[in-house]
Amino acid sequence: MAAYILRRFVSTIAVMAMVGIFIFLLLRLAPGDPAAMIAGRNAAPQLIASIREQLGLNDPIPVQFMRWVRDILGGDFGTSIFAGRPVLELISQRLEPTLSLAILTMILSVTVGVSFGILAAWRTGGLVDRLLAAFSAVGYSVPVFVIGYFLIYFFAIRTHWLPVQGYVPFNQGLGPWFVHLILPTVALGLGYIAFVARVTRASMLEVLSEDYMRTAAAKGASSYAMLFQHALKNAGVPILTVIGISFAYLIGGVVLTETVFNLPGIGRLVVNAINNRDYPIIQSVLILTSGLYVLINLAVDLAYTLIDPRIRY
Amino acid sequence: MSIPSVLRAQTAPTDARTVRMVMGDLSTFDPIVTTATMTGNHGLAIYDMLFSLDSKLIPQPQMVGKWAVSDDKKAYTFELRDGLGWHDGTPVTATDCVASIRRWGQVPSGGKLIMERASDISAQDDKTFIISLKEPMGLLIEILAGAVTPVLYIMREKDASLAATEQVTANIGSGPFKFNHALAKPGASFTYDRNEKYVPRHEPTDGFAGGKVVNVDRVIWENITDQQTAFAALQAGEVDFHLLPPADLYPAIESDTNLALQVLNKAGDVYFMRMNCLQKPFDNVKARQAMLHLIDQEAFMRTSFPAEYTRTITSFFGNQTPYTNDENTGWYKKGGDQEKAKQLVKEAGYAGEKVVILQRTDWAEAGNCAQLLAVTLRKIGVNAELAPGDSALNGARLRNKGSVENDGWSIFITSESDYERSTTLSNPTLTANGEQGWWGWPQSDEYEALRAKWANVETLEERQALAREMQRIQWDIAGTVLLGSVLSPIARRKTLTGLIEMPSLTAMWNMQKVPA
Repeated sequence: MAAYILRRFVSTIAVMAMVGIFIFLLLRLAPGDPAAMIAGRNAAPQLIASIREQLGLNDPIPVQFMRWVRDILGGDFGTSIFAGRPVLELISQRLEPTLSLAILTMILSVTVGVSFGILAAWRTGGLVDRLLAAFSAVGYSVPVFVIGYFLIYFFAIRTHWLPVQGYVPFNQGLGPWFVHLILPTVALGLGYIAFVARVTRASMLEVLSEDYMRTAAAKGASSYAMLFQHALKNAGVPILTVIGISFAYLIGGVVLTETVFNLPGIGRLVVNAINNRDYPIIQSVLILTSGLYVLINLAVDLAYTLIDPRIRY
Repeated sequence: MSIPSVLRAQTAPTDARTVRMVMGDLSTFDPIVTTATMTGNHGLAIYDMLFSLDSKLIPQPQMVGKWAVSDDKKAYTFELRDGLGWHDGTPVTATDCVASIRRWGQVPSGGKLIMERASDISAQDDKTFIISLKEPMGLLIEILAGAVTPVLYIMREKDASLAATEQVTANIGSGPFKFNHALAKPGASFTYDRNEKYVPRHEPTDGFAGGKVVNVDRVIWENITDQQTAFAALQAGEVDFHLLPPADLYPAIESDTNLALQVLNKAGDVYFMRMNCLQKPFDNVKARQAMLHLIDQEAFMRTSFPAEYTRTITSFFGNQTPYTNDENTGWYKKGGDQEKAKQLVKEAGYAGEKVVILQRTDWAEAGNCAQLLAVTLRKIGVNAELAPGDSALNGARLRNKGSVENDGWSIFITSESDYERSTTLSNPTLTANGEQGWWGWPQSDEYEALRAKWANVETLEERQALAREMQRIQWDIAGTVLLGSVLSPIARRKTLTGLIEMPSLTAMWNMQKVPA
């Protein structure tokens, strides 16, 4: 196991290095000029040229790349071209809203989605199953911003129950933090609930049709024991995989939700950086996100051993 | 509807001493290194100015207490008023002012002109400095007071000692607001606290001049990028002000009894296009003149704005400036003149060359104009093609002076405030100095010679006469074609009052929140 984890860590570094090279080249070879963005819309060309020189953007790409690699290896992820502040400081500032939203969304998706999926599988063709089919269709097909506007209209504008937008840090109180995340979590979570529920249902149906489940039923096992002691455990691997992938996807895919609900998260940070061509931020966020993806996959792989003793590394 | 009290508490409107403003993204802090309006607004809050424009756009002393000019009009002496101090607690000195002028003097053309004409800029004592000129310069005070970005904001000497292209990020000024670094979230929100040590002038507020009295404790700039969310937040009382609500939301704002639209920039903004004068077909002046005749300004403005907020414009120097005039404006015809345009295009020897229009994808209004322009050009037989791109993409492409086959461009669309079109010495869009000048690179030595005289003439009447001559040349060379003028209102909750109505920049002093 330890050797396996070590190998995965080494491969994580290799993946991050490849992502780094790819992103660096992509950004430098793609059109766009951060100096023009800094100088502003109607700036004189001479000013833009001076800023390019100042930022070292006129240096050959290999020189810029080596400078960046040297800094990264020294633990320096660089300074935002625009904000003039260390990139890691900006990322850490934005991490909390994104992680808060992702964690709450996963809690909502897993609890509701798995429960919904189990019930639908247990009563296939019944009311719950049909409701799940309808809910899944809506959850998959309606974009998150439509759901977001709908929720804002009813729960913020019409009733004033919940705030329209914004984020309150956790250390300023659990209540305000939670209240500001309810609508974004629900808006983002609907699709994931549908996804987790469908996978749970399919996986549970497969297990419930196995011979040993019939044997358990014949031996008089209770519904609870059949569902939760026998079926769910055996259906767990695909569900866990989906949850892991979903969480990783959430971290990088919350930008629309962050935009609609004005959450100052990582998604908006990187979109803003892309618009401004703030290279250090884009490079750092993508490298760190790719590392996070690999680590989440590793965590999921290790979690398999907990629910399926046959799996060994 | 009854609701749990824990929820109600969290959704209450902002308190009476805090104003939340949806302002847009402040990506660069240093107001000298950029022309970005948001940075200009940031500067207006935290820095102070030697002179400021009043509501009639006349310069008035701001940081300066007394000033005098020598009999030969070559030496200006300025004495700072009492009570000026930096946010770090140290006093503002004349040395700070000299360093700030020198740094700013490297960037805008007005500042460069002062530096060229100055034989000496130096501090005499802690509160006094002089600008000595090689020859008289009638517009010196107007240039120092200009509100076109980059504005002459006074910085600490240690900040102003940096190169003009190296960003100052300390954000320590002597203005009426202090930048709150601890609460700054770049790309999301910025917080400005009232500078309780700021000593306002005794005169009443008048435009950017007079006493800058701050009536609130804190102003928070929110960068709510989604317009629908920004509007919902305004409706719910979570924000008090929205700088640029999209025009399609005007009816909804007007129908809400708690909200109001208010035009702060009464003269409006001018939309215009520039053509690449170095490449076909617009290297031929007749092709450029064809564009003057082609444009139906009302149609272009209707692509994005309600008619009651738009104006047509024929003067090169804006609609409501001291230099607005009607010289050589015979090209204007309501609805445009496609036949005349077609004839001029033919006379220009147009042979079907591709015309590439840069279309902004992150600026809906300019993007809409670009789309209509492409359609209008195709109607007169011009092979027009749109090149969509965001600001950074367009910014990079604009540098390319080459042909469209080599990734160059033919036309781009932008805007600026009406007031900026009167700042002949500071505004690069008003130059005609060829490849040394602004994008599009139109050239007229005759125009540039007149522009060089601008700083020397003494009276308004003389400058107005110059403006007529310059406009005659501009509409002959047609380096710029006007698309129309728009009065973009801000949206606010009616509880927010006292907003300063001025062009170009948005001031945060004087405003206050009153009970609903």
